[in-house]
Amino acid sequence: MSNRRSRQSSRASRISDDQMIDLVGKLRQFLPEIRERRRSEKVSASKVLQETCNYIRNLHREVDNLSDRLSQLLDSVDEDSPEAAVIRSLLM
Amino acid sequence: MSTYNMVKQEFIKKWITTLHMLDCSVEHPLNVTERKNAIKLSSDIAMAAARSGSTVWSRALISRSGNKTANKPVARRILKKARNRLKNRCLTLRRNGNFTAKSGVRKRTELLKSLVPGGELIKNKDYLIRETLDYIVYLRAQVDVMRTVAAVDSVTGNLTNDNK
Repeated sequence: MSNRRSRQSSRASRISDDQMIDLVGKLRQFLPEIRERRRSEKVSASKVLQETCNYIRNLHREVDNLSDRLSQLLDSVDEDSPEAAVIRSLLM
Repeated sequence: MSTYNMVKQEFIKKWITTLHMLDCSVEHPLNVTERKNAIKLSSDIAMAAARSGSTVWSRALISRSGNKTANKPVARRILKKARNRLKNRCLTLRRNGNFTAKSGVRKRTELLKSLVPGGELIKNKDYLIRETLDYIVYLRAQVDVMRTVAAVDSVTGNLTNDNK
């Protein structure tokens, strides 16, 4: 009985091995580099974290670049140009 | 429709709204830098607003974006709406992690916390990873949609140049 109680109260604060494997597995789906490597259960947590950080940083950089590009492209768009019409139809 | 496509659809809907709202609040024509910041800001707010639910990252992103919109009353209105929607869900952020990490993992965990909005508030590593997974899905959707819009724009640009 006390075991169950302590398990329930600590469930939120402790990572079980199963949970860790499950989460690392999900993360690996998103990380192209790791996906290509051998499928072993023993992937170092440190490596996964590093790849995740790199991936997020790359996505941030892309958003920044795309914002740049979109603002420049929209700069050269006239009100009545076909680009404006396409953008309008895409966004509306 | 796949879950990912639904995420993108939701992001597009919200981005249209935020773009319009920011656009309406602008009195003067923006320079390129101002426009870039407006696009990025509207995109980030849209991404966070698309995530209906009580994730730490979406709330942190909205609150972080609030600091950048001090002069735009309309943008503040969007943020207030988004904040109110999220406010009512209870979320305990402070739980004590009970794991011992080697220095490599600890260092990289700190790095991850700095990359995910609100990550520094999350003490539980399990929770941090769940937030990260969620955040990555919406971040990818944001990038995919923006990429599509930018591609359409440059393609039509080439077409009109040929006709000139």
